[in-house]
Amino acid sequence: MYKLYNQGVEPCVIRLSDGAFIPFDPANSDYQAYLKWVNEGNIAQLADEVKA
Amino acid sequence: MATTITAGITTSTALNITTDTSGVLNFQTAGSVSAMTISSTGVSIPGALIANTATITSATIASATIGTITSATISSATVANLAIGSGSVTTALGQGNASTLKNRIINGAMVIDQRNSGASVTPTNGQYSLDRWYFFVSQSSKLTAQQSSTAPAGFNNSLLITSSSAYSIGSGDFFSFQQKIEGYNVGDLNWGTANAKNVTLSFWVQSSLTGTFGGAFGNGAANRSYPFTYSIPVANTWTQISITIAGDTTGTWATNNTAGLAVYFSLGTGSTLSGTAGAWAAGNYQNATGATSVVGTNGATFYITGVQLEVGSSATGFEYRQYGQEFALCQRYYEVCSTTYLQAAQAGGGSNIVTGQYRVTKRATPTLTLTQVVGSGGGQFSNTVDNWSASAAVDGNGRIGWSATSSAEL
Repeated sequence: MYKLYNQGVEPCVIRLSDGAFIPFDPANSDYQAYLKWVNEGNIAQLADEVKA
Repeated sequence: MATTITAGITTSTALNITTDTSGVLNFQTAGSVSAMTISSTGVSIPGALIANTATITSATIASATIGTITSATISSATVANLAIGSGSVTTALGQGNASTLKNRIINGAMVIDQRNSGASVTPTNGQYSLDRWYFFVSQSSKLTAQQSSTAPAGFNNSLLITSSSAYSIGSGDFFSFQQKIEGYNVGDLNWGTANAKNVTLSFWVQSSLTGTFGGAFGNGAANRSYPFTYSIPVANTWTQISITIAGDTTGTWATNNTAGLAVYFSLGTGSTLSGTAGAWAAGNYQNATGATSVVGTNGATFYITGVQLEVGSSATGFEYRQYGQEFALCQRYYEVCSTTYLQAAQAGGGSNIVTGQYRVTKRATPTLTLTQVVGSGGGQFSNTVDNWSASAAVDGNGRIGWSATSSAEL
């Protein structure tokens, strides 16, 4: 399970099992695992709203 | 008709052969063709020098071109200037510890353990034990892994795997540990081309089991494999293994910052991921068919250390790198970052951000895991191959603090 995250400079996705921030870098193996998960038909949770 | 000239039978009677007026002595085998000429400038042998057995006690060869030496052993020699156009220099396995960054395996001596500090782990699929060593398991809780101080002479650590049950392998099961090598570090192998180089994998292994064990080489895309076998003949005794394979002349082998080459050591693999040993195959094989299953025997132990992968057709001595050097190599893929604080005097009421610099530039933008030490809320603010930053709301003393780990494993 994943959740999108856009509170910082670079948007990324949070892996909910351990809270890790996974960058949208094609060379990152965790991002590759996330893409595989998405390709299996799964959808990440939406990001929290950015606080002013 | 041959003529034999014989010296006197007593030691005091020598056979003297006098040169011509120019000082040249020719030994001819056919007509005017000289087999050997001795002159004041030296000895000339125009043809091949052939000897079944010869011992040269001391000689100086001023200049020579030697075509082919079929087999020779030089026990001791000093060579002022030697160029080897094609060939290899062999040293005895376990000797010759020249350090030239020849070993493509990182943490082959099992010294670095950033994640677990020597503690035993029950790896899940994709979990790392010692640095750079990754477990690939289809079933949970069938084995444990940890750094061990049991090691052969010349080493201080090994990776110990202990079977937790007597598990019967199913066709689709897989239990192995592997190291993926970054493409930049194997690009010179020229795999996937006609110029593919041979490589030799060597390691020390000890097990409570005996028999034929297996593993495999594979590419990053997991569609090229070379299963291999090795033998452990005596239980609970260190055995040094050397496996040489021909480089793959086909397939796609990454030469960038992605996975270039993977080396698998099987602990039990079903038929789906097992292939014929000793040949390249199109497919994803992690083991050789019929190899021993470590997880099949409850309490079985398997130790390994001194893992080295080098170019060439023979194993040379293990390359000992300095600890700091090996540690930095590991940190390209995984780093535990010290806690970074923002002091009260600096913290404001708005965005409070701490920044940490990675000690080693990462292979790719890493996955960042943050642990909040002081403050509340917030999270990652930025993350690059060189540094990270995180935000938070300050605590009652106006401080925030985060620690982090970053992973850019392959």
